[in-house]
Amino acid sequence: MEQSRDDFVIAIRSAFLKKGAQQRFSLLGLIFFSVIFLILGSYNFKVVDLVKISIKEIVYRSSFIVSGPEKIIGASFNKITDHINHYSSYKSIEEKLGKFESKDLSNQIIMLENIKYKKLVDDYFIKNNEIFAKVLIDKNSPFLRSVVLNKGSKNNIKLGMAVLDGEYLIGKVVEVNFFTSRVLLLSDINSKIPVSVSPNDIQAIMSGDGKQNATLQYIQGTDFKNNIEDMMVTTSGAGGLFKSGILIGKINATENTELNDLNVDVFKDFTQLKYVKVISFSKEEKALDQTSKKELKTMDAQILEATKQKENIRILLEEKKIAAEVRKNIEEENSQLKNRIYNLQTKLLDAEEAVEEQTFQKEEMEFLKLNLLYGHKCRKTLFNKLHKVGTPEYKNCVLQKGKI
Amino acid sequence: MNNLRNNNISRIFFEYFPLILLFVSVMNDFDFNDVGLKYFSFNFSYILIFYYTLKRKEALGYISLFVAGLFNDVIVGLPMGISSLLFLLLCGFASYLRNITLRPNLVKDWIFFLITLLIINSFSYISLVFIFEYDINHTNSIVNTLFTFIFYIFFTYIFHFIENFFIGYRNAD
Repeated sequence: MEQSRDDFVIAIRSAFLKKGAQQRFSLLGLIFFSVIFLILGSYNFKVVDLVKISIKEIVYRSSFIVSGPEKIIGASFNKITDHINHYSSYKSIEEKLGKFESKDLSNQIIMLENIKYKKLVDDYFIKNNEIFAKVLIDKNSPFLRSVVLNKGSKNNIKLGMAVLDGEYLIGKVVEVNFFTSRVLLLSDINSKIPVSVSPNDIQAIMSGDGKQNATLQYIQGTDFKNNIEDMMVTTSGAGGLFKSGILIGKINATENTELNDLNVDVFKDFTQLKYVKVISFSKEEKALDQTSKKELKTMDAQILEATKQKENIRILLEEKKIAAEVRKNIEEENSQLKNRIYNLQTKLLDAEEAVEEQTFQKEEMEFLKLNLLYGHKCRKTLFNKLHKVGTPEYKNCVLQKGKI
Repeated sequence: MNNLRNNNISRIFFEYFPLILLFVSVMNDFDFNDVGLKYFSFNFSYILIFYYTLKRKEALGYISLFVAGLFNDVIVGLPMGISSLLFLLLCGFASYLRNITLRPNLVKDWIFFLITLLIINSFSYISLVFIFEYDINHTNSIVNTLFTFIFYIFFTYIFHFIENFFIGYRNAD
C-alpha cells in the first residue's frame, strides 16, 4: 500500500515537476502561469491586455494566411458545385426574376410610404457610418459563433455596431482591436437581439441556437396558427442600437409548434460570409419644417409616378396575358385543322385505293367474259401456233377478240 | 527513399511535424473542431497532444503548447489562457500515464484518454459557465468529447504510420 502511494507520488512529481531535456519550464510552472494569465486577463490587467491585443493582431493575420490553402480548396469546391447546379438554378432564378420584377415597383412604393410615415412619427434612422470589411476568420467553433473582420478602431469601428450582409442583419461588433474586430453572429447562443415578428408586430428577443439559426425567447402568448409560413423576423429597434425593420429571417414552425419552441431560419448562410457592411444608425435631426414639407411633397410625387408606372405595367401584363391566351387558342385551332386535313387525306387515299380495286375487278370480269367467247381463237393447241394460256400475249389476244 | 530521409529539410519537417500540425489545426479557419455536420465535432488538438506526449514527448515543448493554447483562445474567442491550461493539463495527464506504464497498451491508453477528456472538459465547462458566464450547449460538448474519444484510435494509427514512415530520421540521429 505504502509502496503504491510512493509510486503514484513519484509519477506525478516526474510528470508535473521534472523538466525534460529540452524543456525550459516545468509543466506545473506553466500551468500556474496560465492560471495567473487567466485571472489577470479577467480583471483587465493592463499589461495582460496589451499582450492580448498584440497576440490577437498577430494571430488574426497569421490565421488568415494559414487558412489560405483551405479557402482555395473550399472556393474551388463551391465553384464546381455551382457549375453542376447552374442550369437548374438558372431556370428557377429566371422564374423568380419574372415575379420579382413585377413586385419591385410595389416595394418601391411601400418603401417610400414607409419613409414618409416614419418621418412623420420621428422614427426615421439614417446610416451615419458605413464601413465595408472583409471577413478574415470564419470560425466554426462549437463554443462561439463569430467572425473576425479586417477593420478595427483605426477605421472608426465601435462596439455594438450592426453588421449586415447585403440588406440582412448577421450580427454585431463585440470586440474592437486597432486593425481588427470581432462580430458575434446571430446564431451564437450569447447573441440577444430585440426583434419584431411581422405581420402582427409581435415583440420578442432572438437568441442564437449555437448552430446556424436562432430561436425566439420571451414571446407573449399569441395565436400563431394563421399565416405561420409568412411570418418574417425583423429588428424591432428597441434599445436604440439598431434601426427597426432590418431583415433577419423567417419563422420556421408548423401548426403544432409550441410557443417556446419557435425557430427562426436566418436568410444568410453564416459559413459563406466574405464581405460585410458595418453600420451605425442615428435619428434624422430634421423637424417638420418647410424643407421637410417640400421633401414630403416630392416624395408624394414620386409615389404617384411609381403608382402610375405600376398601373402601366399591370395593364401591359394583362395585355400580355390576353395575347398569350389568344395565341394559345389559335394554336389549338391550328392543331385541330391539321388533324382534320390529315383525316381527309387518309380518307381520300382509301377511296382512291377502292376505285383502283374496282377498276381492276372490272377489267378482270371483261377478260373472263371475252375469254369464254374468244378464248378458243387464241389458245395454243397441237394444230396451231397460238398463245399459251396465262401469258400476257394470250390476254391481249382475248381482249382484241381473237384478232392477232 | 534514402535520399528523402537524408535530406535536411525532411528531417526538420519530421522533427517539427507534430508542432506544425498543432499550430495549423489551431490557426486554420477550418479546423477539426467542427466540420459543419450536425452533431459532429471533435477536438483534434487534444488527440495530437495526448498522442505525442505519450509516444514522443520531445516533439511538443511545453512552451509551444502554452502558445498554441493562447492562439486557440484568440481564434475561438475564449478567455485567454484557458486553452493553454487545458493543453498543459492534458500534457500532464499523458506524462503521468507514460511514467506509470511499463508495457504500452493501446486500449489502456484509450481508456485513460477518455478519463482525461472527461476531467479537462468538465474543468473547461465549469470555468467557462460559472466563472466566465458563457452559455455552452451541453449536447455539443458531450458530442465533442465522445467523438474526440472515438477518433483517438483512428488518429493513433495514422500517427503511428507517419512515425514509422519517418523512423529512419530517428535512427539517423
